[in-house]
Amino acid sequence: MRRPKKYESGEATQYISRRAALRKLQLSLNDFRRLCILKGVYPREPKHRRRAQKGSSEIKILYHTKDIRFLLHEPIVWTLRDYKIFAKKSGRDRAIKDFRNLKRRLALFPEIKLDHIVKERYPTFIDALKDLDDCLTLLFLFSTFPSLHLIPREQSNLCRRLTIEFLHYVIASKSLRKVFISIKGYYFQAEIKGQKVTWIVPHYYPFKPQSRQEVDFKVMSIFVEFYTIMLGFTNYRLYHGLNLAYPPQFPSSMLQDNEDTLKDETSFVSERIAALNFELLRTDKVQEDEEEPDIDMELLEQDGDSKRIIKMKQEAQEIARLRNLFKGLKFFINREVPREPLVIIIRSFGGKVSWDSSVFSGSTYDESDETITHQIVDRPSLSTQYISRDYIQPQWVFDCVNQRQLLPTNKYFLGEQLPPHLSPFVDAKRDTYIPPEEKALHDPSLIETHAQSDDESEEEEAAQNEDDTVDQELLDAQLQRAYQQETAEYKKYGGPDGVNEDEEDTDDEDFDDEQESDDEEEELDEKTKRLQEEKKKMSVQSGKVHKVNKRQLHKAEVDEHRLQARMVKPRHRNLFRKLIREKQSKEKEEWLLRKKRRNIDNDTKEAKKLAKREAKKAAAAAANAASQLGAK
Amino acid sequence: MAAQEPATKRKRISKKNKAAWRKTDIQDVEQFLEDQRQEERIGTFTDKQNEDLFVVDASPLKTAPSQLTIKQKRKLNALKPMRSHQALENTSKVQDPIVKRNHVRQKKSGRNIELEVCNPTKPRHRQANSDRGLYYEKLDKELAVRESGKKVPKVDKDIWQEEDFRDKIPGLKDEKGWISRDLALHVAGNIGRKVVKTHASLHHKTTKAKKFEAPHPGMSYNPSLKAHQELLAEVVEREESIIKKEQHLKRVTTAMFNKVTPEERDKRRLNEMSEGIKEDGEPESEDEADPKSTDNNYSTVNAPVENKKKSKAARNKELKQKELQRLHEAKKALKKQTADLIRIKSIRAEVQEEAEELKEIKKRRKAAAERKKFETKRLGRHKFEEPDLDVNMPEDLAGNLRNVKTESNLLTDRFKLLQKRNMLPTTVAVTRKRSKVKRFPRSSHKEPGVSFQDLRDRRKAAAAAAKANSDTIKI
Repeated sequence: MRRPKKYESGEATQYISRRAALRKLQLSLNDFRRLCILKGVYPREPKHRRRAQKGSSEIKILYHTKDIRFLLHEPIVWTLRDYKIFAKKSGRDRAIKDFRNLKRRLALFPEIKLDHIVKERYPTFIDALKDLDDCLTLLFLFSTFPSLHLIPREQSNLCRRLTIEFLHYVIASKSLRKVFISIKGYYFQAEIKGQKVTWIVPHYYPFKPQSRQEVDFKVMSIFVEFYTIMLGFTNYRLYHGLNLAYPPQFPSSMLQDNEDTLKDETSFVSERIAALNFELLRTDKVQEDEEEPDIDMELLEQDGDSKRIIKMKQEAQEIARLRNLFKGLKFFINREVPREPLVIIIRSFGGKVSWDSSVFSGSTYDESDETITHQIVDRPSLSTQYISRDYIQPQWVFDCVNQRQLLPTNKYFLGEQLPPHLSPFVDAKRDTYIPPEEKALHDPSLIETHAQSDDESEEEEAAQNEDDTVDQELLDAQLQRAYQQETAEYKKYGGPDGVNEDEEDTDDEDFDDEQESDDEEEELDEKTKRLQEEKKKMSVQSGKVHKVNKRQLHKAEVDEHRLQARMVKPRHRNLFRKLIREKQSKEKEEWLLRKKRRNIDNDTKEAKKLAKREAKKAAAAAANAASQLGAK
Repeated sequence: MAAQEPATKRKRISKKNKAAWRKTDIQDVEQFLEDQRQEERIGTFTDKQNEDLFVVDASPLKTAPSQLTIKQKRKLNALKPMRSHQALENTSKVQDPIVKRNHVRQKKSGRNIELEVCNPTKPRHRQANSDRGLYYEKLDKELAVRESGKKVPKVDKDIWQEEDFRDKIPGLKDEKGWISRDLALHVAGNIGRKVVKTHASLHHKTTKAKKFEAPHPGMSYNPSLKAHQELLAEVVEREESIIKKEQHLKRVTTAMFNKVTPEERDKRRLNEMSEGIKEDGEPESEDEADPKSTDNNYSTVNAPVENKKKSKAARNKELKQKELQRLHEAKKALKKQTADLIRIKSIRAEVQEEAEELKEIKKRRKAAAERKKFETKRLGRHKFEEPDLDVNMPEDLAGNLRNVKTESNLLTDRFKLLQKRNMLPTTVAVTRKRSKVKRFPRSSHKEPGVSFQDLRDRRKAAAAAAKANSDTIKI
């Protein structure tokens, strides 16, 4: 038997150095890099480097031998070799100034076909969606680039086109979920086919040149090359899923014969498409109802209402509400506000939007339109203002989306100091203890109720207290202050705010409704009596109140838990225990923190009470002294 | 003629021998013959017409300069036969003595493409012609597309549509189930339309870490105070650790060695380099004074090896000792075994403890391996370093969208992310160092100096100033 030599089997044969791979594929380093990126073959780290490198301990770039063998069969390797030939031949033509031949050659430049690679790397559509994060961020970034060395203009134009198409899809499908303005750029998160797709759009600032020391532009350009093809196919599939014509088009009704369209139809259409303000042409004739058939929650309820199902139900309801958040609202975007992100957000939640026609083509109505409800402004003051609309800062739109409800606009008025813009990616409903201050930031209604409850408790205390007259005075003073503030605001904005007006209106209506209903009740008394009699005739007996035995319930719960613990497979037992332990510790921690907080709150309250009592006593004493003085 | 005169003087010369004959002047005969041959070649004057010999000069005296440009002249010259070939031209009037000559046509090297194209005779010519036609058709199409400026990658199909390879090849799909899938695969392969399975490593995930890392809430353009403080604290912590590391390195390397002044260093170097070289003043023969060196005897420091033989008795004794030692050891081992029998319980505990320890180590290793799956791997020569956190300093926070100060570069960010996810090996951009070029002014180039004119102007100006100075009356 032959004695096996060293490094003929095992890890040494599993890995291949880059240099060896180049030799095997007969490609140059640049071509190899390109091939690897396009095919998704990445370098690997071996377990034992010295074994994998046949005894050498320097750190080399290694690939799996199988990967490289797999690359050998790739048809684009031939195209890459054709490039080399092309470069040589066209170089020769250029050198001898044979321009006729050169032109012919340039026209037949060997194109790389990547369709099959997309399919290969993402066997299912969902796989492609999972990898869309990087793709979108890079393409959005590249769409802002001018033509640079190693980044041709066509590439950035293509990026722009594809991203606009994708945004049209997001708007049409109303799949946007979260938005966030960071110092990096705008974060968007959409939910497409159950996958969360997040991308970053850079801030709309002029292009800043970048040093080539930091980033390898060539590599990034290759990534973009692949991602453009991938996004093209993804867009195609997404559009067809919504019954939209894929290269996006307008319905023919939109294209009336006017000067612009007659001059250059294609550019007119592409500009309107880039404006993101029009609905696209559908392939099916019937315009479907906006309401999608949601998941039938009743069917899911077979399991009984477990916590998860309830949560899912709530989530579905919330999302249904979110999708029509801005329905019926009409926005106008001022010139200084970045147009694109706001248009995407407003349109994908059902709002209508327009802008100054000098900023970008595709505006639908003017600033002077009286039906506009909100004008988005980002400057300290405006000279001409309309009473009929709210002047808000752009953050309002973002915060509304993140909190999934229309927030009161008064905090976001023109020139107002804005409340902090919170990240939606931090889960506000996470299981751990959240201090009330943070809760209030997420839901401003909470803090108000908190304050109210404080007031109530104070009132109660006041009732208990003997000298309630002083308290009344204090209350009066508070009311006075509130009134003064209101009048100050009134003066500041030169008119009553839309919201306040609305509130008043609704209040009035409520009053009216109540009165009307009272009247009606008297009239309809006879009818109802008859109905009740009829009802009594039917043989339905009143049911008994079902008493819930709390102890039994708890016991059942515990039993269920035990059963659950038993059902766990032996190999998962440890994990299960760990999870339970973690949950318990978390609960305990939360309870402790809450207790601590409660104690602190009580202490402060006590201190406050004491202080107040003393103040009251002092005031009473002073009043007494004054009255005595007056009597004297 | 003057050269021939002395020859005519001597009328008769002896023609006795060969040498004498050589002196004979035959020039006149040769001249005559030459003239005759020339006449034969170009004809006599009598044969020629007057028009051939003379030209009436009708042009004006001065010829107008030619209107041709240099380029045109060159072109005309290029049409003319080359000067160098003029010598090869046959200018003789003598007719070819051989009336009928066999014309030999030289065989052309290579193929006559023109002929092949114009009247193809062979099938391969026809094939080539049709191929060429197709090529130009394609070329025309490409050129037309390029002209219209609509060169975009075509996306006109849904690549993710489920499709069966059997649909493409007729006869492979049957409802009755006669052809199994395996058979269909086999047939497709033999037809030449092999169905290839993609390699599993194509779907290899480079890292287990989450793809999307949520931005820190403090990175908001208008962050809450708490979030911003947290982010700042994080940045500070990171910076501090860097500083600490730097200080450690400095302490361990630079600060570890004591310093000397440059003069001291030079002096030390000189001393070190001149070690062993004698100075002039020193006496040379220190070694010569040594008495040993004068002897010719060779001697080493080590003592010479002696082959000491052991006696047989000594060997026997040694063997006996060895045997005794062995026995002693065995006895000791046996004794220990019996002793261990008693403390078997504690041994079991020891073994268990050891096993537990091993288990712990195993567990720890496993956890470490698992953790490593989430981390960035070492793919190349350079280690990946986390980029700095992006943070707006408190004074940069504007609080409105209009005045946002953007931090971080998205492109760099993406690039680093790809590196972090093990998709790219960490590299450092290398700039080629240019060799240092020593520059000096050409000798032909002179610095602009001072001319006489300048000097005179300066002198005049100085004089004027002095005069003005003397004219003014100082108070």
